[in-house]
Amino acid sequence: MNASPYFRKLVEWVPVAVFAGMFIFLGIEAPNLFTPFTIDLMLKQAVPTVVVSLGLAVVIMTGGDDVVSGGIDLSIPAAAIIAAAIIADQVTNHGTLLPIALVFALLAAIMVGVLNAFLVVVIRMTPLLATLATSVAVVGITKVITQSKRINVTDPFIVFLRDGTVIGLSAGVVAAGLLTLIYWFLMHRTRWGMQAQATGGGREAAEVSGISTKAYQTISFFLAACTGFLASMFVLARGSGSSPGTEDNLLLEMVLATFLGAAFSPRRKVTIWGAALGAVLVTMLSVGFKSIGVNVFWTGCIKGSLILIVVASAAATARGRY
Amino acid sequence: MRWFLRYSFLVVIAACIVFFSLWNPVFLSAGNQMNILEGSAILLIVALGMTLVVSMGGIDLSVGIALDFGAAFAVVALKEYDAAWYVAILAGIVGGCLIGILNAVLIVWLNVSAFMATLGTFFIGSSVQRIFTNGGGPISHRRMPQEFRDLAVGDVAGIPTEVVIAAVVLILYFIFLECSIFGKRIQAIGLQPTAALIAGIEVKRIIFFGFIIAAATCAVGGLIASANIRMFTPLSGFSYLLDAIAAVFIGASMHPRGRPNVVGTLVGVLFLGILANGLNLMGLNFNTKDALSGIILVLALAFAIGQRRFVVLRKGHK
Amino acid sequence: MAGITVVFPGVKALDLAALTVRPGEVHGLVGENGAGKSTMIKVLAGVYAPDEGTVSLDGERQVTLLPNAIHAAGVRFIHQELHLVPHFTVAESVFMGQEISGRFGLDTNTMNERSEVFLRETLNAHISPRTLIRDLGTAERKLVQITRALIDGQAKLVVFDEPTAPLAIGEVDRLFAAIEGLKANGIAMIYVSHYLGEITHICDRVTVLRNGKTVKVFDEVSDQITDKIISAMVGREITELFPEKEKASNKKLFEVIELSGRGFSQVNFEVAAGEVLGIAGLVGSGREQLIDTIYGLLPKSSGAMILKEEAYNPTRPSKAVKAGVALVPRDRRNDGLVLDQPVVDNINLASLDEVSVALMEKRAVSKERAEVMVKQLDLRPRNVMTIPRLLSGGNQQKVVLGRWLAKGGDLFILDEPTVGVDVGAKVEIYNLIRELARGGSAVIVSSGDPLELLGLSDRIMVLRRGYLAASSDVKDLNVDSLVGLTTGGNEGLLE
Repeated sequence: MNASPYFRKLVEWVPVAVFAGMFIFLGIEAPNLFTPFTIDLMLKQAVPTVVVSLGLAVVIMTGGDDVVSGGIDLSIPAAAIIAAAIIADQVTNHGTLLPIALVFALLAAIMVGVLNAFLVVVIRMTPLLATLATSVAVVGITKVITQSKRINVTDPFIVFLRDGTVIGLSAGVVAAGLLTLIYWFLMHRTRWGMQAQATGGGREAAEVSGISTKAYQTISFFLAACTGFLASMFVLARGSGSSPGTEDNLLLEMVLATFLGAAFSPRRKVTIWGAALGAVLVTMLSVGFKSIGVNVFWTGCIKGSLILIVVASAAATARGRY
Repeated sequence: MRWFLRYSFLVVIAACIVFFSLWNPVFLSAGNQMNILEGSAILLIVALGMTLVVSMGGIDLSVGIALDFGAAFAVVALKEYDAAWYVAILAGIVGGCLIGILNAVLIVWLNVSAFMATLGTFFIGSSVQRIFTNGGGPISHRRMPQEFRDLAVGDVAGIPTEVVIAAVVLILYFIFLECSIFGKRIQAIGLQPTAALIAGIEVKRIIFFGFIIAAATCAVGGLIASANIRMFTPLSGFSYLLDAIAAVFIGASMHPRGRPNVVGTLVGVLFLGILANGLNLMGLNFNTKDALSGIILVLALAFAIGQRRFVVLRKGHK
Repeated sequence: MAGITVVFPGVKALDLAALTVRPGEVHGLVGENGAGKSTMIKVLAGVYAPDEGTVSLDGERQVTLLPNAIHAAGVRFIHQELHLVPHFTVAESVFMGQEISGRFGLDTNTMNERSEVFLRETLNAHISPRTLIRDLGTAERKLVQITRALIDGQAKLVVFDEPTAPLAIGEVDRLFAAIEGLKANGIAMIYVSHYLGEITHICDRVTVLRNGKTVKVFDEVSDQITDKIISAMVGREITELFPEKEKASNKKLFEVIELSGRGFSQVNFEVAAGEVLGIAGLVGSGREQLIDTIYGLLPKSSGAMILKEEAYNPTRPSKAVKAGVALVPRDRRNDGLVLDQPVVDNINLASLDEVSVALMEKRAVSKERAEVMVKQLDLRPRNVMTIPRLLSGGNQQKVVLGRWLAKGGDLFILDEPTVGVDVGAKVEIYNLIRELARGGSAVIVSSGDPLELLGLSDRIMVLRRGYLAASSDVKDLNVDSLVGLTTGGNEGLLE
């Protein structure tokens, strides 16, 4: 599509408009949705999504946002799931102390990062295919650990993450906020982050400037896997244990959140703040629709359509041959 | 040396066959071999559709959905409308076409990337199935007309029908993608779409119909799947997605210039079929089996794509 | 650099080639493709190790010829490719790989300031450091690239590799102004280019390579010696770079009436059968968009076109091709060729119907056709299964031409047909263009090289800022008047 500048400006605002429209609709239909209490509830619900979206944002920023050939990591939810499963299994079924279980889980997540990095940087598989394959393998291994059954977790730390408060806000929300800050600083305010972004913006350009793109790509997958590990604690907290099948929804929300965030950013690129904001908004939408009684399967439809609206308007506003 | 590396996958397959037959001699029996073919039929059909899409330079994450829609439309036609078996087949293909049209419109008219478009279709299609079945439960139809059921359980001159259908689709795709002039145009589009456009090729038209044909192909797989278990199970198509992608990429690695191709896809599918069958015969816990196939799949992909890199590197600087 | 020899298996890429540059001097390096220019630069960059010979900087022999050491010694490269990230700001691009950190992370203010100062004071350019690369014009992007290479103040020798290839006449002046700025700072420069007009304009001395050897060094450089430079490059007297022109017929083949589209308006012209029409214009003049609109890549907003006496309105390129139009695009690597499909497939791509029976390709027929074409065009190597990615620029262009010759056409449009093509292949392409005209087709050549347009065309039309500024028979034009019309008089010239 070869759009005129005015059309382009208009279409750029479509995702934001659609989003705003939905929120206004929710605000009317469910006025008690935006009380501090419910907002706090929604933020708590959003925490796992925020954390994994941070990881995806790092990989996309370092790998380039051309989804097929650039960076993407579909295995972050899987890493979160396996970490959650390990923690739950160790603590509940084997009586291991929580810190030890956390170490095991972190190791597992790191292995996922290593596998991704190996496939993408050494074998040079496209990240889409590599992380998809990793995801399936990891989910399979998780099933062996959990034997496809739910495991409850009652460890006090996990309960604290779920119910506790720090300076008046939920512990989980504060933790997620801190993480966002840390990742933001890393990606946007350090040399490392700028060079990682350069790698994503143009690999040849970065190489010519003396940046070791392979190193950055490798580390980005580690950082992503770490967010998977961090998210696992919140997943356990949110669900009070490990249940099979959580990763599908997390995957959908993660992708939607990160790309939606790009639509909100000034340069129309994936950013840390954008991903976090996107995750919060997506969760608010889910919770909002559920609270007014919309069938949960319809929300899946809506989220899918949202992804398409965001991406279609980005495509419509992309510059043509000039 | 180069030749060896290119066909190294065949060596891997041979090694697997040896391993599995040692573990369980039943593996080599004629009956089991036919099981492998039967079990691979649907995957082959889906993988061929995927081959078409990847040849055009895209990817289709909604192949499972097309398969599901094919099954759903057929079963509903039979159950709710008492349709004749051939009408059900037509209905199934129409169902697949709907998915293909959605993809085509998104990709060609709205300029959405193939990944995003088919991802969106995947999410929407999954939700629609859940809504339609009120939570994801299967729709069963025990009293299927025998002709339809025969798609999965019957045979043609001694060969199971599904294998015959898969073979027919294979031959059609081979002619289409490898021998015909459309195939040449599709390859050009996949490699360099702007150059194809300037050379006068109807790029948009071909991509549009390409996605529809691929989805319709997957729907055929869905017909067989539903005929097999006499029911439509929502979201069952998803399990074919990664295997189809893997088969196509494994197949591509066997081509001198690394492009997706029909024969390669066939090899990839057979490899996966042998793997699944062999693991089954080992009598493992189903969770362990799932985990093992996932891991082996990753290794196989890494090997297939990695050895191509190695070949390219060894060719030296130029 | 003295006595450098580099041997690749079977081929001596450089054979005792030598080059010396003085501080504050702009030294041109010229030669045909395959003469060894890029090999020499790569030796200097540390990408290749020479088999013999030495590289000395400031009188000191460089022992470690590795990229890091060479960078540390003060050598900087301005590659042909810009290597910029579209969504980065100017400052971010300048400091890519050499970012400045403060106590609280990146020191964006310092980076912004230093970028702006350098651009203004050394390169005579006023560009805000916060502008995004994608919002800059090509010349400005080039200046950003140069800033990145020189901002650390350690540069002693700067190598420019085809710096003006994407630029237009007016923008070239900005680059030259920047180069003057660098000269004033005592920096030595090597300037590699195919554009001899620029070489003679900006360089103080010129080294000519041929077949890997340094065949001549010119110490006094001016317009007068262009012929001598060409002779040294080619190894023989080139009296006729351009083929004989013949009188075109009077039959109007293609007519454009009050055509307006993206970037141009109310353009009128016509081309007769057997005629070569040249289109001149700066970047931004609408030249590129006009061609794209004629071919159906861009929609027109108003006006009409008539081809072979019938209304012609292509909504997409396939319609243009069906009507008998052929386009050789300016970016042949991405838009002209399918780089990874063998030559035989590229040549037959537009005429697949003719090599098929019932929609099935007859491989033998395809190969035969391709072989005939390869011979006719003198493509090296002759193997039709070669992958175009491995061919030289000139040969790649021949494949594109081969495709259209195989299909046949009435109107051939060539957009920058000899960019990145060496002199020998250029002559062959010019001959081909004349052949096309002789065969009765109409030919449109769009080019930024005034010498090329004057040598090749029967008539030239000039676009300026989207409007048709002039249209004239070639015999009424010379280089100065043509450049004057293209740039609008004194606009964009150095003084």
